[in-house]
Amino acid sequence: MFDLNNLATLAVSALLTGGLYATMSYGLALVYGVMKIINLAHAATMMLAAFTVLTLFRAFHLDPIIGSVVILPLFLVAGMALYRVAVGRVAAVPIASLLLLFGVWLVAQNAAYLIWGSEDQSILTSYTYSTISLFGVRVAVTRIIPFVLSLVMLGALRWFLGSTDLGRAIRAVSQDKTAARLAGIHAEQTAMIAFGIGTMLSAFAGGLLTLIFSFTPDFGGTFQLKSFAIIVLGGLESFPGVLAGSLVLSSAESFSILIPGWRASLVNLLAFGLLVATLVVFPGGLASLAVHRARKTAE
Amino acid sequence: MRIQTIGATTLASLFVAAACGGTAAPSSAPGASAATTAAQSAAASQAAPAVIKIGAVLPLTGPFNASGKYFQQGYDLATKEVNDAGGLDVGGKKYQIKLSVLDDGSNGTKSRSLVEQLVTQDKVTALLGGYDTSLVEAQQAVPDQYKIPMVEGGGAASAIFTRGNKYLFGTLATVDVLGSNTMDFLKYWIDKGKLPKPLTIAVVWENTDHGKDYQGAVEKAAKDHPDYFKVVLDQSFELNGSDFTPLLTQVKAANADAFLSDAHLPDFITMHKQYLQLGLKHKFVSYGARGPDQKGREALGAGADYLVAGVWWTPAQPDKASQDFTAKWKKAYNVTPDWFQALSYETARVMYAGISKAGSLDGTKIRDALAGIDFTGSILPGGHIKFDPTGKPLTKYVFTQNLPGNKVNLVWPQGVEGYKDAIMPLPMGQ
Repeated sequence: MFDLNNLATLAVSALLTGGLYATMSYGLALVYGVMKIINLAHAATMMLAAFTVLTLFRAFHLDPIIGSVVILPLFLVAGMALYRVAVGRVAAVPIASLLLLFGVWLVAQNAAYLIWGSEDQSILTSYTYSTISLFGVRVAVTRIIPFVLSLVMLGALRWFLGSTDLGRAIRAVSQDKTAARLAGIHAEQTAMIAFGIGTMLSAFAGGLLTLIFSFTPDFGGTFQLKSFAIIVLGGLESFPGVLAGSLVLSSAESFSILIPGWRASLVNLLAFGLLVATLVVFPGGLASLAVHRARKTAE
Repeated sequence: MRIQTIGATTLASLFVAAACGGTAAPSSAPGASAATTAAQSAAASQAAPAVIKIGAVLPLTGPFNASGKYFQQGYDLATKEVNDAGGLDVGGKKYQIKLSVLDDGSNGTKSRSLVEQLVTQDKVTALLGGYDTSLVEAQQAVPDQYKIPMVEGGGAASAIFTRGNKYLFGTLATVDVLGSNTMDFLKYWIDKGKLPKPLTIAVVWENTDHGKDYQGAVEKAAKDHPDYFKVVLDQSFELNGSDFTPLLTQVKAANADAFLSDAHLPDFITMHKQYLQLGLKHKFVSYGARGPDQKGREALGAGADYLVAGVWWTPAQPDKASQDFTAKWKKAYNVTPDWFQALSYETARVMYAGISKAGSLDGTKIRDALAGIDFTGSILPGGHIKFDPTGKPLTKYVFTQNLPGNKVNLVWPQGVEGYKDAIMPLPMGQ
C-alpha cells in the first residue's frame, strides 16, 4: 500500500514538523534553562502573538512572516515586564511560579475572547497553497518556512549564548545563580532579559503558526504539552537537544501510521508516552545521553 | 419615637404589599394604611399580564461563546415575536414569555447545575437546550429528573437519544443521518454514471461521538450495498490536529475514489489546506457539515470550491420561509444568519408550539404534546419538525456545493426548492 514516494512523504513531513516543533519549544527551553520554571504562559504567548499578527494582517495587509518579526520587540518588553512585576517575585518558589503563569494563561485567554471573540480565525496568503518539490515529494512552502527558521534560530541562539556577554551571563546564571552574582553578574536583571527573550521566541513561533493553522483563544494548549515533552526528551537545557527531541517526536508521529491497526487518533499518546519513558529511562534527555557517550568515547 | 412609628408602619405596609403579590409600589406617605396598599396591589395584579417562565443555559463565554450568542439571539427573536403578537395562547389564556438565559462558560458541570437552578429555584415551565453536544449531554439528565421538557438544537450526536430520556427533544438532525444521506447522494450519482461502481471510499473521522456517528453510517451503507461502496480506509483522528500529513499520506496510499471526513471547523481548515498542499485528488470530497461556512471559505479561499456538505439550514435556501427568516434576522441583528441561528429560532418556536398545543403549563402534558407534534411552516429542510419516540428529530439535511465566487448551490434532496444538479465528479478530482 505504501510505495517509496509515500514513505518519502512521511520522512519529509517528519523533518518539517520537527522543525515546527523546535521553533515552538526554544522559548520554553530558554526560560526553564535560566529560571528552572515551567512557563505555563507559553501557550498564551503563542496565542496572543497569532492574534497580533492577524490584526496586523487585516489592518495593514502585513505578511505574517514579517508580522512575526515586527512583533518581537513588543513581546520582548512584555516578557521582561511580566518577569519584573510578577514572575521574578515568585521565581524561587516553583509551585508559586507555576500557579502564577497558569493564571496569566487563563487571563490572557479570557482577554482574547473579549477582544477577538471565540470564532476560528485564519490567514490566507498568496503562497498558502504554493508547493515545491523536495526529494521528489511535494512540500508546502508554509511548512518549509518554520523549518528553515528553526535552523536559523538554533544558529542564532548558539551564537548569542556562546559569543556575546549577555549570552554568557545567561548561561552563567542558569548554571549557578550565586556564583554568577559573585562574578559580578546582575543575576536578576539577566534572568529578566532571558525571560523576555524566551517570551519573544514563543511569540515568533506563534506568529509563524498562523501560516498553517486556524486559531482561537484556546490555541496553543496542545502545542504547549508537546513542547514540554520535547524539552524533557531533548534535555531540559539543551537547544540542539530541543531540535533532536522535536525530530524524534515528529518521526514517531509520522511513521506510526505504518503500524498495522494503528489509529491516528492515538498520536498524542506518543508525545506523552515519550515524555514518561524519558523521565523513567534517561531523565537527562537525549543531550545527556550524547554527553555520556562522548565521555565514554574519550575514556 | 414618632419617627420609629412612621418607619415601622411603612415597613409593615411594604410587607403587606408584597404578600398581596402586586407590583404596586408601596405608599410613601407616612402612616398610610395597610388596607389601602393591599387594595392598590390587588388592582395592579389584575392588570399585569400572566407570565410563563422559560429557561436556557448557553455558553455565552468560553470556547463556544460565538455559537452560544447566536443561540441566545435565536431564542430572543422567537420569544419577542410571540410576545409582540400578544403572548402565547395556553388553554385560551395569553401569557407573556419571560426567557431567562444563564451562562455556563462552556463548562459541562456548570451547565448542568445551572439547568437545575432554573428548574428548582426559578421554577421554569420549560427549557431550551444549550449548544454543543458535550454541553447538551451534560444537561440532558435534568429534564427527566424534574419532568420539565427540554427542546435542544445544539447537540447532533445520536448518543443523546439513546439514554432513555422522555422529556428531551432535539431539532438538530443527528450526524448518523448526515452520513447515511451522504451515501444516498453518492448512490444517486453512481446510478447516473458520474461516479465509479463500486465507489472506493477513504473515510476519516474525529474521535468523538459526532465522528463515530458519521463513520458508523458510512460503514453501514457499505455493508448494505457492497456493489455500490467499498471502504478502503477507515481512520480516526484526534481533535485540533497539528499535522495531518501522515494521515493524508495514508489516504493517498489508499487510492480511493472518494474522500469523506467528519471534522469540526479548525480541523477541516487545517486538513483541507494540507490535502491541497499534498496534491491529493478525489472524484468526491466532503467534510460532513463543513464547507459553506463563511469562516471556512475565508480560510481556504478557492480551495473550498466544489466541496459538498450536508447542512441543517443555509441562507441559500430560496423558499419563502427561509428568505423571510433571513430578512427578519438581518433587520434585527444586521448580519446574515447561518444554521446556528436558524436552529435556535426553530427550537424555541417548536417549544412554544408544544406548550400551546398542550393547553397547559404542566410539564408532562407539554412533553406529551411535543412527542406527538407535527410543527409545520418550519424553515428547516422539509418544512416540518417531528420527533421519533426517543425524541430524536425527524428533520432532514440539505446538501450544498460550493461554487467559485463564494456561491453555493443546493444539490440534494432533489425535491428541495432551488435544487441544481451537483457538478460531479468534482473538477479538481479529474
